[in-house]
Amino acid sequence: MSLELLKAAADSNQWWALAPEVMLACAALALLVLELVLPRAEHHKIPLFAIAAQAIVLVGVFLNFDTNWLGESTFGGLIRHSNWGQIARVFFVLSSLLVCFLATVCLPRTRMPRVEFYHTVLVVTAAMMLLAQSDHFVMFFVALETVTVGLYILVSYFRDNPLTLEAGLKYLVMGALSSAIMLFGIVLLYGAVGRVEGANGAIHTGFEFGTAAAFLQAHPDNFLAVAGALLVLSGVAFKIGAFPFQIWVPDVYQGAPTPVTAFLAVSSKAAGFAVLLLLVRNVFAPLQSVLVPVLSLMAGATILFGNLSALTQRNAKRLMGLSGISHAGYLLLGVIASFTVPWAGGAVWFYLFTYLLATMAVFGVMAYCTGENDADHELDTYDRLSRDRPFLAAVLAIGLGSLAGIPPLAGFLGKLILFIAAFQAHLYTLLAVAIVGVVLSIYYYFGWIKAAFFESWRPAFSTETATAAPRTTPSLFGTLTLALLAVATVVLGFFPGPLTSWLIGK
Amino acid sequence: MLHAGLEQYVLVSALLFALGFFGVLLRKNTLVIYMCLELMLVASTLALVAFSRFNGTMDGNVFVFFILTIAAAEVAVGLAIIVALFRQRHTVQVEELNHLKN
Repeated sequence: MSLELLKAAADSNQWWALAPEVMLACAALALLVLELVLPRAEHHKIPLFAIAAQAIVLVGVFLNFDTNWLGESTFGGLIRHSNWGQIARVFFVLSSLLVCFLATVCLPRTRMPRVEFYHTVLVVTAAMMLLAQSDHFVMFFVALETVTVGLYILVSYFRDNPLTLEAGLKYLVMGALSSAIMLFGIVLLYGAVGRVEGANGAIHTGFEFGTAAAFLQAHPDNFLAVAGALLVLSGVAFKIGAFPFQIWVPDVYQGAPTPVTAFLAVSSKAAGFAVLLLLVRNVFAPLQSVLVPVLSLMAGATILFGNLSALTQRNAKRLMGLSGISHAGYLLLGVIASFTVPWAGGAVWFYLFTYLLATMAVFGVMAYCTGENDADHELDTYDRLSRDRPFLAAVLAIGLGSLAGIPPLAGFLGKLILFIAAFQAHLYTLLAVAIVGVVLSIYYYFGWIKAAFFESWRPAFSTETATAAPRTTPSLFGTLTLALLAVATVVLGFFPGPLTSWLIGK
Repeated sequence: MLHAGLEQYVLVSALLFALGFFGVLLRKNTLVIYMCLELMLVASTLALVAFSRFNGTMDGNVFVFFILTIAAAEVAVGLAIIVALFRQRHTVQVEELNHLKN
């Protein structure tokens, strides 16, 4: 390698381009230092520091949305900055901000250390932001593993609860299995592409997204490369919980602490879709003729499986997990459509934003309605919620209504835009399956709303005393956050213009 | 002297990978499952080094160090979870770890 190449490589390390990720990582370290430095009586302020730091990063990313780096690649081709990368940054910081808010509600009920939770959430969020902008398989794999290992810790965080640990073990085995499958796929791609001589004596390998895409364009029926691509995509399918890789979802969602369940449902799923869009639009675009049938089968089976298995579910967290599988199915529809309809990627992001608002509202209510053992969270917990806590019941109804896709809430528009994209891409069979799925989902979401709003019948002679469900009154901050989420869900349903033009117009 | 070609290396690593994969699916002891997961990572590493040698690029060899680091982190967290679970349940057999059910 010549001296000019080394100099060019050094010049491409533009740390300012990664300011949000660096700031999050520094904030995560500062949290640990604060715990050492501050006296014990002041420790309750540390979560506020984490939330404030993320709010600053969020505002910073928003103000610098159109940076000079857009379209550039930095760090020797490891990172490529794009509009979708910026959107992903906004999404992940917003989501982890809300997860930290849920943690301030749930963590004080247990005897677990608190600061490490926020630390891990910040590190995982920074890794997700890097993952969504990666342009190189080494970067991709390392960022993905940082996310996965961080999530192992978070899922099994309540280590004195055997159910949480069991969920942690299941997530560990399934996560490690999917990572190993994905790694083998990357290795096969690297082996198939081999050594590519570029301009000025630079040597390229299959690790670079661009080189791998060029190779697949030239040899679309190379067995090793196609097998590698399919293995990588099955690893991603594990992360988003798509059929037939969804077996871990209900158990892990049930056992994990409620804030972590929200983190898995929103951030982890969105990271999976960010990666899927990145791969399908860049690297694996030449394999369209293989991928469209595979992904279509997967999407249809995912939608049907998620909705059918959620129908009889009485545990609220399992219900969120199973219905989350069906949401992954609808989103896959958008990913398939993005092969032929370019704006479908924006539709996927719009759906993810509406899903973020609604899911976080529902999990916020769930956080206020659980006791210490939050794995045992039946729908009966919500009995007479509308009489005891009318505000929480209203937020729950708006959140669930939006997830079910009831007009005029934001979730309806998210589904509508996604389905229009699928219609333009001529995916009529899948569209029919998705509409059947939506109709089924109304049944179980409204079963939950019914539990919260209408008294369930109890025999008068029942000896069973109705145990008062553990419910806490939200603090002022909590009330404001939940109200903001609910209002945003309603307002976005009426005025989607700014967000859609931001996501789809670009 | 016998020389092994690229095909032999890839074949061995694919066999090791399949061995690990079916071990994860079929074995009942959590620790053995965990060893099988590590076997899958090592199989990928072997293929990576072979490809790197035969393609004449160093990138694969460098990636091996990243994989080793990641595998170490994964083992550290994973064994911690298994030990914590053993303290609560006094078993590491998967068929007895089924309390999360409807």
